Amino acid sequence: MRVPAEGMLRGIATFLATFGIGVAAYIAIADAAGDAPVCLAGGGGCRTVASSSYSHLLGVNVAAIGIAGYALLLGTALLRGDGARMAGFALALTGFGFSVYLTYIELFRIDAICQWCLASAVLMTLLFAANAVRMVRYVGTPP
Amino acid sequence: MSRRRERGVSREERLRKEAEEGALERRQRLVKLGSAAGFLGLVALAVLIVVSQSQTSGGDTSLEGVEQVRHDLGGIPQEGMSLGDPGTKVTLVEFGDLQCPVCKGYAEEILTDVIDSKVRSGKAKIDFRNYTIIGAESTPAAAAALAAGEQNRGWSFVELFYRNQGIENSGYVTDDFLTAIARGAGVPDIAKWNANRKDKQILAEVTKTTEEARSLGFEGTPSFAIRGPGTAGLEALGFPESSEEIESAIDSATPKLAEAATTQTR
Repeated sequence: MRVPAEGMLRGIATFLATFGIGVAAYIAIADAAGDAPVCLAGGGGCRTVASSSYSHLLGVNVAAIGIAGYALLLGTALLRGDGARMAGFALALTGFGFSVYLTYIELFRIDAICQWCLASAVLMTLLFAANAVRMVRYVGTPP
Repeated sequence: MSRRRERGVSREERLRKEAEEGALERRQRLVKLGSAAGFLGLVALAVLIVVSQSQTSGGDTSLEGVEQVRHDLGGIPQEGMSLGDPGTKVTLVEFGDLQCPVCKGYAEEILTDVIDSKVRSGKAKIDFRNYTIIGAESTPAAAAALAAGEQNRGWSFVELFYRNQGIENSGYVTDDFLTAIARGAGVPDIAKWNANRKDKQILAEVTKTTEEARSLGFEGTPSFAIRGPGTAGLEALGFPESSEEIESAIDSATPKLAEAATTQTR
């Protein structure tokens, strides 16, 4: 299978991270306004998840952590070189691990699914894939 | 001459090979470094989650029913002191005192069925309003529940309090006890909850709902009232003795079912 060019991987990662910032910002803004994100397909899943104790980590809304994570990933996608490749992979792996944890919590602890959180999990999975290929294939090569 | 050229070629080849091997080694080293950084990120994340969870649910080791309450209320929206879909038109109101043992029994034996049959399905929601009649310790307990409600964990707090209720006015409603209940109920920001429960507005709300219960003619806890399209405002139910009685009141207050009931009686 042909490996995509690094420029293409960086472009994909830039798009995904920007989209991720949008999704996480929507959840964070809805929470800050004292409301809950509206589940587009209906149901109270988003409200249930947003009001759960798992929606905060050390008092910080996980959506705010998400914004910071996506912003850092966007930075690594825009930058060239080995530092950006390795940092992108490390951040994406951490973000992917966090997404797996949050999805587990939604399914087995809260018993509710928030579509926005699910969308974020999908974005983070794709970012992990793009950054993993970028690092494994292109690290050590000229930028 | 040709031997010298051969020597030159093999030297070039050796240098190229060495350079290739060096680049490969460097790549492998960098991949390992990147993977190690990712692994460290995961470890840091795990530590953060464990610390955060121990802060929100820590202190519940001596509590009973934490998992049970989580299971019973899992998947049902909570907003303020309300349990159930906020958009539903039928509201059952419980006037209770957290120190009241009858309320505890009622919550565990009767309301659980109502929550399963009517609240989880979105047919009705339940509001908890404090009616502090047992004694001095009822007020701080009520205020703590309202403060948990400010973070949408009100119903979890009430249910968990009932499951760990002590003997009335025996001095068990301490700051430590209330904090453990708040943590077990999953209140996200304990510092904020702690400040809110001492707020004058919250204490005023406790007095207000207690007066409201009296104005409805209730003399004991728990007492119930219901509001819906099939009722004339907030109608007092008093003390329904079974879950079926409450379910039937909810059906009567529900628009279509209320209409059908009226047609049948004609």
